[in-house]
Amino acid sequence: MSNDGSQQLGRRQSNSDRQHLSRRGYLAAGAALGSAAIAGCLGGDGDETLTVGMAVPTTGVYALLGESITNGFELFLEENDGEINGQEVEIVSRDTEADTSRGVSITRELITSEGADAIVGPVSSAVAIAMMETIESEGSAVWLNANAGDYRVTRDGCMRYHFRTSFNDWQTSAPLAQWVYDNIGETVCIANADYAFGNNSREFFREAFEEVGGEVVEEVGVPLGTDDFSPYFDDIESSGADAIYSFFAGSDAVNYISQGDDFGLFDEMVQTGSGFLLSEDTLPAQGSAAVGKYSLLHYASTAEQTQDFVAAYRDAYDETANVYAAQGYDSAQAFAAAIEDGGSSDIDDIIDAMRGMEIDSPRGNFRFNEDTNDPIQDMHVREVVDGDDGPENQVVETIENVESPTWDCSIY
Amino acid sequence: MIESILRATLLGLQLGVTFALVAAGLTLIFGMMDVINFAHGALYMLGGYFGYTIATQFGSFWAALVLAPIIVGVLGAAMEKFTLRPLYGRNPLYHILLTYGLAVMIQGVVLEVWGASSQQIPRPGQFTGSITVGPVTYPTYWLFVLVVSTVILTVIWYAIENSNLGILMRASAHDTEMVNALGIDVSKVFTGVFVFGAALAALAGVLLGATRSVNPGMGAGIIIEAFVIVVIGGLGSFKGAVYAALLIGLVTAYGALVAPTLTELFLFVLMAVVLLVRPSGLFGATEAA
Repeated sequence: MSNDGSQQLGRRQSNSDRQHLSRRGYLAAGAALGSAAIAGCLGGDGDETLTVGMAVPTTGVYALLGESITNGFELFLEENDGEINGQEVEIVSRDTEADTSRGVSITRELITSEGADAIVGPVSSAVAIAMMETIESEGSAVWLNANAGDYRVTRDGCMRYHFRTSFNDWQTSAPLAQWVYDNIGETVCIANADYAFGNNSREFFREAFEEVGGEVVEEVGVPLGTDDFSPYFDDIESSGADAIYSFFAGSDAVNYISQGDDFGLFDEMVQTGSGFLLSEDTLPAQGSAAVGKYSLLHYASTAEQTQDFVAAYRDAYDETANVYAAQGYDSAQAFAAAIEDGGSSDIDDIIDAMRGMEIDSPRGNFRFNEDTNDPIQDMHVREVVDGDDGPENQVVETIENVESPTWDCSIY
Repeated sequence: MIESILRATLLGLQLGVTFALVAAGLTLIFGMMDVINFAHGALYMLGGYFGYTIATQFGSFWAALVLAPIIVGVLGAAMEKFTLRPLYGRNPLYHILLTYGLAVMIQGVVLEVWGASSQQIPRPGQFTGSITVGPVTYPTYWLFVLVVSTVILTVIWYAIENSNLGILMRASAHDTEMVNALGIDVSKVFTGVFVFGAALAALAGVLLGATRSVNPGMGAGIIIEAFVIVVIGGLGSFKGAVYAALLIGLVTAYGALVAPTLTELFLFVLMAVVLLVRPSGLFGATEAA
């Protein structure tokens, strides 16, 4: 990686000069080191700073998610005096604006001009899919996917640079099927936001639910960003299913749950869903309407193993840590462990160290699948109950070591 | 089936009258000042957020319903006086750039102050259940929104048609110079109309903020519907805005029943058809007038 050169020549300058100088530094280093740099023989020697590129949205409707990921990452660094393996860590943030072409250009900028050793992000799956080619062709940074759960990054990308420090969309949908069948009923109506992620979740859940012997009697797709859900309730209600499975997130989740409660949708049917339907960022707005509903996620802020993290996060940011913060924290943990185990910031050493690595996470321990770099982790079925500070998720059952399909991906 | 059609009708009417509160300000401001106010959706959003803060801090929905429109009205006055007024009489492009910029700024401030997560205004205690009439069960609060918005619209309609102020407003819109020449300070009328439009949008923000989520994207969402309403109703026509809003509300509600993914398309097709048949909108002034 050529940032060694840029550091000696250009870093530590004032902000306005930095961009220019570091680019010139980069060129100079490239010229001087020539093929040695390309062959990756530099290793980590002489590299006093590790650079982490944050590629998350910091503006727009996903700003909260990006901010939480960054907060989680920084919390880990603060707990370790801002150092990994004795090396200082510099975080460079660029706003993806949840936009695909912007995501690609900032990824390239972070890797080439900033010399990022790791890319953390993005939030949006569409951005992740767009970023794949750049990460692969630059080939000099490890990609810590801190939220974008689309399984196609694994199926189509199947890249050795890519490690999910978060989840994939199969994990937040399919494993719930057995639990619903055992505990609620044999028929389900699926209602989901009609876009890639929502439809992936629908397909995975249906497949799994039919496999365990249940029947999906109705499917209702609702456009992303719908304000009024009541016209869709009749189809859901008249399906007569025992349970509803949903994927909605953000303002859709708030509108769906509170309006469903208004119209008595949940009087006869039990609501279940992916964890984003009922999460720390939606529960305050959903209020009592959320109580008694079930969802599946790899994180619960009330879980016993999570309490130290929640307390530390509250001290630092005065907020209840959400799943995105945990994913940011784990991205930092994975990166730090890889640098320490491998002893260098060379991309090949990082990947070798990280392959199959086990991480002591606030969510509970998880490890990377040795073929796909996807996480193998516990998934929690959570019920919303009335807590001291409003509604909160309680874990009612933990499905251990959930390993997702590999989608024919075998990296090594 | 009957039940879902009746429910969709109620929803459509409720959306219609509340959209009309937003569109009324937009159309009156355009009619009088020739200003296309892109920040109008942001004012609606501010109504929702101020309403949320007041309702959760003081525990009173009613305080939110009264205070939020007043606060937004005051902000509207400042906006008109310090930013729009210097640009009256210039190329409308200036107003578009200015108000678009203001909309972006307000959204930025909202993200900074309230954050990006969705909120909801807590309902007043009296309106938490639902009422069953015949085959239809409908939440009480949603009926309350329908009734309140209808009453307010009726009062405004009556005032515009009959009161001295209404006549003055229509006169200023029709011929600014003449009204000026008669010794009436038109700029005060302009400020008044702008403040009134801003307060109405904020009121709609509070009313809808307890059924829909309050989020940083809500302003950009409603401004599109509001513009479609204003164009269909006829630029500058209050009456047109009310009819068009009811039309759009019903199309939105029925559209979701029939073809969810096409609802937005229906709105624009409707607008295109109206523009082809009556280029000045349903109640717009014709070229000759």
